Amino acid sequence: MHNLVLLAAEGPNNPILPATNEIIWGTLAFLVLVVLMSKLAYPSVKSAMDARTEHIRTAIDDADRTRSEAQTVLVDYQRQVADAKGEAARIIEEARQTADNLRRDLTARAEAEAAELRQRNAEQIGAERQRVLAELQGQVATLAIELAEKVVGGSLDQQRSLQLIEDYINTVGTNGAAAPAGAGTETAGAPGSTSSRAAGADPTGGAQA
Amino acid sequence: MDAEQIDGWAGALFDIARSEGALGAVEEELFRFARSLEGNDELRNVLVDPAVPGERKSGVLSDLLGNASPITAGIVSLVVTTGHTRDLSAIVDRLLARAASTRSAVVAQVRSAVPLDEGQRARLASALGQAVGKEVEVRVIIDPTVLGGLIAQIGDTVIDGSVRTRLDQLKELI
Repeated sequence: MHNLVLLAAEGPNNPILPATNEIIWGTLAFLVLVVLMSKLAYPSVKSAMDARTEHIRTAIDDADRTRSEAQTVLVDYQRQVADAKGEAARIIEEARQTADNLRRDLTARAEAEAAELRQRNAEQIGAERQRVLAELQGQVATLAIELAEKVVGGSLDQQRSLQLIEDYINTVGTNGAAAPAGAGTETAGAPGSTSSRAAGADPTGGAQA
Repeated sequence: MDAEQIDGWAGALFDIARSEGALGAVEEELFRFARSLEGNDELRNVLVDPAVPGERKSGVLSDLLGNASPITAGIVSLVVTTGHTRDLSAIVDRLLARAASTRSAVVAQVRSAVPLDEGQRARLASALGQAVGKEVEVRVIIDPTVLGGLIAQIGDTVIDGSVRTRLDQLKELI
């Protein structure tokens, strides 16, 4: 405006300078328009701008809050993930240790059972061997005695029997109650075996008059 | 029957036999019958079984003791019919011991596989008498299981010189 006034003051020879009245009316119209705009349009525009500004600020705040919450959630998530990983590692380690312990226990138990089984088998085999040996020994003894009885019975003729009796009489008469040569003597204190043998050893029931 | 009762029975029967004046024969017959009873399960079962009628038992005894003296038959019949058959051998042994004791002697039960003649019996009695320090009366039981030699039992003392015992000892050693 000041420039326009200066240009107007320079005279009518300026080609870009409007006429003076036009400047005056134009200025008045401009002023009227400014006043009208400031009274009528500016408040609504300002209100809209304020609302827009508030909306943007609210949106920004919401975004910040959301971002903060997201950050918190992320941190929690990361912490939970870390915890989960640690828990998983701990569980895996415990499972591994449990498996190792179980494997060791099972191995030790299996080895103990195997050793016990071997020991028991060895004992059973030994006992069975002893039993068979004892049984075999008894059978051999029985067979040997039966054979000896047959041999002795066959060789004991009347003369030999009488000779044995004479030997007995002579030995008893010489040695008293001591046993005849090679024979057993049972004295007081063992009458039970003697009585039972005497009672059952007479199949013919014979008694010499 | 306990020992006291057996002794009582033996004493009573001994008095009967002695009063009848047939002690020697009764002793020998009772001894032979007792040994027969010990060695014959069927005879013992018949005489012991309470289900067997008394008449049958008497018939069996009559068959066995037909040639024995009436005193012997009466004694055996008394013991059997009163239900003491199981103790007959013990009663007889005690009676023989009592009878021998009246003669200041003891009884030796001798088991032999073959019979002994009188000379052997006398020398055996003498030898056993020297062994135990008393006069010995020998009662011989024929027992083939002895195989050879003799087994003499005087009271609780047994002098064993049998082949059977030597084989048994050999078996124990094996």
